[in-house]
Amino acid sequence: MVFNRSLLARAALGPAAGAVLMAFMASGAIPAYQMYSVGLAAVYTMVVLSVGLLAGWSGIWSVGHPAFFAIGAYFAAYGSGHDWPLEAVVLGAVATGAALGAFLGYAGARFSVLYIALLTLAFTTVTLELINRWSSVTGGDQGVPVIQLRSALGFGTLLGGGAEAQYLAVGAAAVVLALAVPAAASGLRMRLVAAKSHPLAARTIGIAPEAQSSLSFAVSGACTCFAGVLLGLLTGFVSPEPFSLAFGISLIAACVLGGVGTVLGAVAGGIYLTWNPSLSSAVGLPQPVVQGLVLIGVLLFLPGGVVPFLAKPARSILRRVPRRPDAEVPLPAEASADHAPLRPPSEAAGSGPVLLHLEHMSVSYGGLKALEDASLTLRQNEILAVIGPNGAGKTTLLNALSGLTGNGRVSGTADFAGRPLLRARATARRRLGIGRTFQHAEVFSELTVAENVLCTRRRITPGDRADVARLLHSVGLADVADRRPGELPFGLQKRLDLARAMAEEPKLLILDEPFGGLDAGERALLARHIRRLHAGGTAVVVIDHVLDDLFSVAHRVLAFDFGRTIGEGTPDTVLQDPKVRSSYLGSVDGRTRPPEHVGERSMIRLHGVGHTYGGVIALRDVDLDVRQGIVLGVAGANGAGKSTLAGILHGSLEPARGDRKTGGTVRTSLAPEGRALFKTLSLRENLEVAAYAAGITGAPLRERLEETVQWLPARLRDRMSASAGGLSGGEQQMLAIARALIVSPDVLIVDEPALGLAPALVDEVYDRLARLAHDGLTVVLLEQLLSRAMSVCHEVAVLHEGVVAAHGRPGDPEFAAVAEAAYFNGGLEAATTAAATARTSQMN
Amino acid sequence: MRGANALFHEGGTVSQFLLVLVSGVASGAVYGLMGLGLVIIYRATDVVNFAMASLATLGLYVALSLHDRGVATVLGILAAVAITVAAGLVVRETVIRPLGQGQLFSALVVTMGVSLVAESTAGSIWGDQPKDFPSLVDGTVRWSGAAVPVQSLVTIAVAAVAMALVGYLFARTTLGSAMRAAAESADTARVIGLSSQRLARISWALGLGLAALAACLYAPRSGLVPTALVAPLFRAFAGIFLGGLTSMYGAVLGGLTIGVLDNLAANYVSASFRDTFVFSFTVLVLLIRPQGMFGTRTFQRV
Repeated sequence: MVFNRSLLARAALGPAAGAVLMAFMASGAIPAYQMYSVGLAAVYTMVVLSVGLLAGWSGIWSVGHPAFFAIGAYFAAYGSGHDWPLEAVVLGAVATGAALGAFLGYAGARFSVLYIALLTLAFTTVTLELINRWSSVTGGDQGVPVIQLRSALGFGTLLGGGAEAQYLAVGAAAVVLALAVPAAASGLRMRLVAAKSHPLAARTIGIAPEAQSSLSFAVSGACTCFAGVLLGLLTGFVSPEPFSLAFGISLIAACVLGGVGTVLGAVAGGIYLTWNPSLSSAVGLPQPVVQGLVLIGVLLFLPGGVVPFLAKPARSILRRVPRRPDAEVPLPAEASADHAPLRPPSEAAGSGPVLLHLEHMSVSYGGLKALEDASLTLRQNEILAVIGPNGAGKTTLLNALSGLTGNGRVSGTADFAGRPLLRARATARRRLGIGRTFQHAEVFSELTVAENVLCTRRRITPGDRADVARLLHSVGLADVADRRPGELPFGLQKRLDLARAMAEEPKLLILDEPFGGLDAGERALLARHIRRLHAGGTAVVVIDHVLDDLFSVAHRVLAFDFGRTIGEGTPDTVLQDPKVRSSYLGSVDGRTRPPEHVGERSMIRLHGVGHTYGGVIALRDVDLDVRQGIVLGVAGANGAGKSTLAGILHGSLEPARGDRKTGGTVRTSLAPEGRALFKTLSLRENLEVAAYAAGITGAPLRERLEETVQWLPARLRDRMSASAGGLSGGEQQMLAIARALIVSPDVLIVDEPALGLAPALVDEVYDRLARLAHDGLTVVLLEQLLSRAMSVCHEVAVLHEGVVAAHGRPGDPEFAAVAEAAYFNGGLEAATTAAATARTSQMN
Repeated sequence: MRGANALFHEGGTVSQFLLVLVSGVASGAVYGLMGLGLVIIYRATDVVNFAMASLATLGLYVALSLHDRGVATVLGILAAVAITVAAGLVVRETVIRPLGQGQLFSALVVTMGVSLVAESTAGSIWGDQPKDFPSLVDGTVRWSGAAVPVQSLVTIAVAAVAMALVGYLFARTTLGSAMRAAAESADTARVIGLSSQRLARISWALGLGLAALAACLYAPRSGLVPTALVAPLFRAFAGIFLGGLTSMYGAVLGGLTIGVLDNLAANYVSASFRDTFVFSFTVLVLLIRPQGMFGTRTFQRV
């Protein structure tokens, strides 16, 4: 923890305000009848702070705090009745609160928000019942007095309900606030927030969410119990009445009102709770009504709370820096001047000692084998690329290496740096020296860029801050170090993900689709970065679909399909392996194209269509004309923008740019990627629901259902009442197409029907599609394998990085080469240019 | 559970056990109905409706006012259901929908706010003094030497019929299939063109209707105060968590389990610590099986 001057100043604000307040109290400026309220506000502030920071930092919303509050108060009462010293009462209450909180936090980490709500609700209910019935200790609903508590250390005697208690409450609140301020800047808070905002990513940097939530709940419970002791002293009398569940709801209202997770917000919340009764009588409504309306109003109109709402303009005036999320981030001079050789000298690679050795590793989820019998060896000085089509098991391999296989069964052996890897928990693998990034840049959205990297450390020294600043500079994030990741474009989020994985200099870096979603400049920068890491002695395992970039950095390539290794080689040779090549392109077999009777009528016409997801470009300037009776293929690698195009053609996705026109009333129907069946519904219900959604009911529905069932293969017709989840992949695909057919569409759009299917089933699905086309149905087929698209379609458009890179007729002898070049490199010209660039940079 | 406590000294241990069991199943039927309502709303809209009980309380007061004016009890119950459903739909359209999709916690807290307002409003219109709520039927029947209150049997029967109707709706009708489909995957439902808002409204109406019915069955035994339904709501919560939160069977079986346990604990362990017993049991089960008895474990993939 670093105590810089502004932090110290802010931490001193609490005690200073407390001292001023106490001076006012002593001078008599505060009327006597309000003295009690001031003390109560101080106590409430501590409780609201406990609830609010627990929610804001750990994401645990507790309705159990009335119980902690009550436990503290009854400790005071019992201590007073049994002549315990003040210190023993406080220690006992704090220890009890911490122990119960630690248990609730640990148990709660296993559950979702709602389960924690129930858990804490149960805790409150049980505690209140015990308090009400255990009369010998608590006095039941009669209550017990708190007469006095004598200090064992000679600080005198505190009378229950006396003025000293009011001063003590204010002083205690000031100290707690003073402690909360530096805690908010500490690594502890960063780790708590990291564990809350992305538990899985947190594990990969060595943070265990259970331990974090247990710790924070323990502190929160202890603080609330302490506040309870003060409440007992303040009121001089403890009864069950104030500790109702309604108080728990009021506490949440106070937190939300002030601003969850802010220290100042807690003060506002405490004040609101104290004077809520006066507020209610002022507006002439019952107190619960006012509380309810405030709660609803704040959540609807000021979900961030009052304090952050007011602080925002104040801070932006102070900072005077315009916040422009789209601002160009200049590349660091160091990085752009870096002319590392295109590929590291080969004698450096593959000669080092073995770092990672996998043997016969399999991962299965239920009956599904996501990874089967994978073996690989990685040397210390090597960049290994893993390629394969969608569903080949690449990500599963990475997850197995970083310990994120969830409830999957992992078998086989893995040695990392001479130690068995598989037995190590995910949180321990960071310490072994494994860092990883994620396909979608899973960064901690509630931390700043710098904090995202800092939170990898348990205790943060000034040296750490300097290291992190240097690291951020080296990836070009220095200028945005204080921003939240959400304000940054996707490319910078990916750099942040990489920086976080690189902090603490791991021995092995695992990169999950690092090039995906980046533009050409960013990809070149990333490639340079990976080479620099390698030069620094880091081994890298990288998977991606962007093959040209991947091959420009890798020393060795491993190809996967259906969860197995199907080939291995250097970037230059691996695609010459026919098995590897056909896993991408498919093999052309004797499949016949349906006879062409393409009409002139345009069913759907796209013009200049583009689409983005949160800054990532998915489609750019697409023109497409779907004519009646055609079988139009759209081929492209994973991530080329096929599913986006499918949604736009279907009409269920509104394009961000460009327009979609239909020729008259055209009913479109989509069989989405991955089938998207309702697995808990029966086969028949899946079909019925689709017809119902299209407005078909009653007799016409039964008629359509009958016809559609006839279309299904016989083995499905007999199982119409079975649930769709039990079908095999091929059967599910058949049902998904049938579901699209039941509404009698004019255009059928099928997104990757062959995904994850065994070859025989692929043939069956394609035969059925061909027969539909034969009967005159207009079909748009989105397909990962180019050759498959070429073999069945009348026309094929090749999609590469969101652009139609080639469009032609498979019958045209020249089109095959053009399409293949477009598929891998975005076109013949692009390929030539890329090769030329590669040659030039190699010469440098 | 006044009836059960007063009666349990009458017969032998067997008939006493029978009484406790019938009383437990009757309570469990009420918790199960409420839980079913909660689950239907939760599955369709991701909202844990804390306000369900207090909205149903409004319905109960209206029914009681009608009863005092001489309207038949059955019509009063129908009015209670209608009022509760209407109030619930107003709440959804005015304060839940503007929150947007997927606001699990905010939605829960907003319904807490609604319940504070509704309870307080009921208190200021009808007073905080306990009132008697009419039973559908009075009297007892002799069964194996025990005097079983007919109202308990009617409660069980009515709840069973209501559950069977809900079961029929969801299992046998296209509307029910559509509701299950939308609950399973809102995204896919959108792709095939289901109107999610319409289904959400139907689910809210159904859920609140069930809650109002449960309230009308529960109130004769407990008496009516503005907070009368808080206790059964909590037990219904315990029931649905026990059942797995998204399973309708789970809600019913969880509610029944809680009801029977609750009555067994009150009669054989300690009447003072029944909630302690019920909630400790629930938490223990959840610690061993976090997904509940019928819930499915979810696994987050990167």
